[in-house]
Amino acid sequence: MGVNQKKTIRLKEGFWTTDSEYAEPRLIGSKCNNCGEIFFPKKEKGWCIHCQQKALEDIILSSEGKIISFSVVMQQPGGGFYFGPVPYAYGQVDLPEGVRVITIFTAKDYNDLKVGRKAKLVIDKLCDDQDGNEIMTFKFSPLV
Amino acid sequence: MKNLNSMRKVFVAGAGLTHWGFFPDQECYDFGSEAIFNALLDAQMEWKDMQAAFCGSVYQGTGSGHQAIKEVGLSGIPIINVENACSSGGSAFRLAYQMVASEIYDVAIAIGMEKMPRGPIPSTAFRPWELSSGFNVQMANYANETVEYMEETSATAEDFARVTVKNRNNGSLNPNARFQKKVTIEEVQNSRMVATPLQLFHCCPLADGAGAVILCSEKMLKNKIRAVSVAASVLTSGVYGEGALAMGTSSSLKFPAAKGLVELSVEEAFNIAGYGPEDMDLIQAYDTMAPAELWDIEKLGFCKKGEAPGLLKDGYFNIDGKMPVNTDGGLMSRGHPLGATGIAQICEIITQLRGTAGPRQVSKARIGLAHAMGAGPNSSVTILKT
Repeated sequence: MGVNQKKTIRLKEGFWTTDSEYAEPRLIGSKCNNCGEIFFPKKEKGWCIHCQQKALEDIILSSEGKIISFSVVMQQPGGGFYFGPVPYAYGQVDLPEGVRVITIFTAKDYNDLKVGRKAKLVIDKLCDDQDGNEIMTFKFSPLV
Repeated sequence: MKNLNSMRKVFVAGAGLTHWGFFPDQECYDFGSEAIFNALLDAQMEWKDMQAAFCGSVYQGTGSGHQAIKEVGLSGIPIINVENACSSGGSAFRLAYQMVASEIYDVAIAIGMEKMPRGPIPSTAFRPWELSSGFNVQMANYANETVEYMEETSATAEDFARVTVKNRNNGSLNPNARFQKKVTIEEVQNSRMVATPLQLFHCCPLADGAGAVILCSEKMLKNKIRAVSVAASVLTSGVYGEGALAMGTSSSLKFPAAKGLVELSVEEAFNIAGYGPEDMDLIQAYDTMAPAELWDIEKLGFCKKGEAPGLLKDGYFNIDGKMPVNTDGGLMSRGHPLGATGIAQICEIITQLRGTAGPRQVSKARIGLAHAMGAGPNSSVTILKT
């Protein structure tokens, strides 16, 4: 009793699956059965904002992609919404299914971030919440 | 839709700006009303001549335009507050223009005002998980776009520094600018890193400030010192497939936009005005970040992609160059009170076309274009002519 068990909490449900069907965590997107457009995160309403039809179904996305852009942020964001470490890096990764994902990057050394380099999905800690629970999110890590 | 060319001609009756800087002891209503007084004086009009008011702001709260106008005198006219991110001023201007052009009113005023929160702007129109992920850092969103621009062109950090140097040179000639001190390429390159590859002096400074423009029909025009009229006022918002990191949107890989937002808005503006880029005598481009001015000039059609850095180096965009850009120092010197910026850009074009810009006067300026982007995304293009 009295021992404060730290929990790990997902930043938001539905971003990724750890189903044993897959060897590693995978992002969940939406694919349109009408026009073929792909979205990440998945669209909860099932509505394709490209062809404007209710024709979306879930798609499991590849865990490796290509870095398109990144920026290492050197100062605290405004507004008081972000509780992760600073500096931190975020940018864009293209996945082979044909979707560009905006993501936080994690790297041993931010100099490893290069445009065109492959990056791999990891589920990693974003920050602690007020109760000391770990908030987990998806990130991409450059493959060196 | 109504053919804009069949509507009546709209004139600038008067324009007014405040000095831009930090005013901790004032509210936006104070400098908003000061801009109105300045515009009325310039127009040789009184507040009772105004038939409608459109007030652009972003962070000033509900009914802020009313609060500014209350300091001048409420008169029962409709007051519409316009929040359209950094395009708020341009959007307010467009509404006032449309009202006069469509003969609903003969005189309308567009106001832009902002007292800025300190530090990086807290963009809030994101989903909570995006805010928690720190995706609302606009310097970093521009930094990502800069990385893409550098991949697609041969632009370098030195090119970006040259934008800052040019605009700070111009700002040194603008008594209303927040920064009126020149900087060197070395000073830009030695400034602290904010979000790689962007450094502090690549970023426009914040400022508090306001501006107002009164528009009217030809018959109502009182100040006839080289009358300036509106050739086009266009707003385009978000197109499918084009990335806009400033709003957490990435490009579609399967269905990329055939034409981007800026390209669409400027094409519409040129079509309405009956002019092309070659007819413009000066531009107010959107320089929130130094590299953004370069790609903005390119997207607006003044040169091909990747050519702006070379033209900048050759002095093409200087006040005495072939196509002067941001003659008042732009956002980079003037500062960026979000809701007021669009109006300030338009005020500079008016000043230049009237030939009253003093030491920063562009010779023989007859037609000018102002472009403001805004989160949303929005792209607002205004073309004015003498």
